[in-house]
Amino acid sequence: MKEILSNAMKQNLNTLSEYDGKLLLKNAGIPTVREKLARTRDEAIRFAEELGYPVVVKGCSPKLLHKTEKGMVYLNCNNQADVAHACDEITSKDDIGLDGILVQEQVPGSRELVMGLIRDAQFGPCVMFGLGGIYTEVLKDTSFRVAPLSAQDAESMLEELRAKDILDEFRGSPAVDRSLLIQSLVQLGNLALQHPEIAEIDINPLIVHGSQPVAVDALVILSGPN
Amino acid sequence: MEKFFNPQSVAIIGASNSPFNLAATILNLLRHNCYPGDVYAINRKGEGVHGFPGYSSVLDIPGKVDLAVVLLSAAQVPEIVRQCGEKGITRIIIESAGFSESGDEDGNRLQREMEAHMKQYGIRILGPNCLGTLNTQNRFCCFYGFVPEKYGDGFITPGTISYIIQSGGIGVLILDSFSNDVCKVNKMVSIGNKSDLDEADFIEYFNQDNTEVIGLYLESVRDGVKLMETARRVKKPILAFKVGRTAEGSHAAMSHTAGMANNDVIFDSACKQAGIIRLKAISELHSLPKMFTTMPLLRGKNIAVITNSGAFGGIAADILVEQGMKLASLSPATQERLAKTGQLFNAKNPVDLGPAMSKQMFIDIFDILLSSSEVDGLLPIPNVWQDVVIEAILDLIQMCKHYQKPAALYIPNSIAKILTIRTKYQIPVFESPEEAVRALVVSNQQYHYLLKKEQYHERNSLECDETKFEHALGV
Repeated sequence: MKEILSNAMKQNLNTLSEYDGKLLLKNAGIPTVREKLARTRDEAIRFAEELGYPVVVKGCSPKLLHKTEKGMVYLNCNNQADVAHACDEITSKDDIGLDGILVQEQVPGSRELVMGLIRDAQFGPCVMFGLGGIYTEVLKDTSFRVAPLSAQDAESMLEELRAKDILDEFRGSPAVDRSLLIQSLVQLGNLALQHPEIAEIDINPLIVHGSQPVAVDALVILSGPN
Repeated sequence: MEKFFNPQSVAIIGASNSPFNLAATILNLLRHNCYPGDVYAINRKGEGVHGFPGYSSVLDIPGKVDLAVVLLSAAQVPEIVRQCGEKGITRIIIESAGFSESGDEDGNRLQREMEAHMKQYGIRILGPNCLGTLNTQNRFCCFYGFVPEKYGDGFITPGTISYIIQSGGIGVLILDSFSNDVCKVNKMVSIGNKSDLDEADFIEYFNQDNTEVIGLYLESVRDGVKLMETARRVKKPILAFKVGRTAEGSHAAMSHTAGMANNDVIFDSACKQAGIIRLKAISELHSLPKMFTTMPLLRGKNIAVITNSGAFGGIAADILVEQGMKLASLSPATQERLAKTGQLFNAKNPVDLGPAMSKQMFIDIFDILLSSSEVDGLLPIPNVWQDVVIEAILDLIQMCKHYQKPAALYIPNSIAKILTIRTKYQIPVFESPEEAVRALVVSNQQYHYLLKKEQYHERNSLECDETKFEHALGV
């Protein structure tokens, strides 16, 4: 974990790549999607076979901020040909020197949550929890707590959502594993306290698969070079 | 800290007889309040002001001086601070502005010079850009610009509510409002730009003295982590009003999270975590403390409404539910007991007393409701149409203490009548049904905060013990 951050700081990076970002979160005990970073098209196909279809294929680089807008995200890749096509498209559009191609399990689930972290000038690191997905900014159904969080603090964040009912049994899906959400929120706060070089984190979306929340995309922003 | 509120001797630096001299208004106030300590005026001519002796420098004052109050242009202040240090004055209130808060180079330089002297002599500073302190217990006050005749006895009537404010206007509002309320001010401090002492330091101090409720009016927070740590230790209710509820985030929003956060959302979360009651209206700073000083805390959310106006029963029920309280559901047995007390219009909650009433009937109803496990608190809305109603209310206050359950009173009469009754009989009446319900809400909030604070400290002392234990084992 230290290594990911110190390497990034040495390279004067402002953000971690999606792959490194999720490695960091996974190490902190936050459930993340199964994924592998491929260097070649063949490797990407092999990883896709290992993970099982459908998969998502994405370009991966710390310099890549708006993946979807840049056409670097391919959902619903159902076979070798889809993966090969996605790899070729991504490689042809690459003008920044990608780290590689990220192949990840496509997580089914209609409930999308968000978690995040910021540093407030007066109160220090603060953790956010809310309704995720593309409507995050429109609905603004979020709740914050100052780190470190107690389990009770994290629990009260779930209770504070206007849409808190979607965490219960919902349209045939089981209730969300609340203890996993609580643990993730507490860990997110601790991560910031242990690593001052982390400035902000976005985990969006955190898709609920069955009862299990899984971080599917993550952005880790680093504090500027000292 | 004591010397900021309880100085035996004080030098007002910058007070002279020239017209419109602001520092002289402090001397006028101290004279009017009959402040018993020694007071000196410091000005270039060394002239006496408002009957207090004058000197041209603090160094010339013969006796010991506990506190200096400075109202001079910023450029003169560092040298004054040095002289105070030399004189052995270690507590200074700087009411003038123009230091690092001004953001310009001159201000920063003056700040550095001042801080060098503070360090050398071990001086603590309140301010700059503040009004200073008020202590009603000993009649000390160094607020400038006040015409004492306009505030009645507010400055010298001892009470138990202490305030930390960042605006003189709010101080005035509180002092004024208390002139017809059951609470009075204990101490008040205007903290200004808090270059040294901040809100958390004063919360800590008010936790040690005879204060019962701490009120905060904040425009900024200097050190959020310190504020939270302090608030978690304090069991007295802390009521905070903070401006900037609509302010946008100051973060350059690179992440979604930063886009969602703003200073106010974070402050709100911090209040919930540290057990600070966040106020929704500025008037709550003076209207709500009486709920804490006169009534036990509300332990649950089940409220019984008692009224002799059916309309107010319905109105109160709506507000209660909107604010997250519940209308207590009364069992048939309780309803039967209520019905036996006389000719009730309605024995269900809201209980409608109807018009014909004896004092005893009020008392019986209060007793049945307060002693019932179905009820956690009362919202009595009695129209005061006979003196017996007042007598019953006075008894109710004692009954609440006995049963350890609160009542938030509202009288559906004109504000003028409410204020008269409140002042004359010293009963804690709120000025609207909304305000009474808010009082119940914050009382319950404080009850939960206290539980949370106890848990927090148990958990922390447990962790401490474990660390010690591991340490002892050499882990």
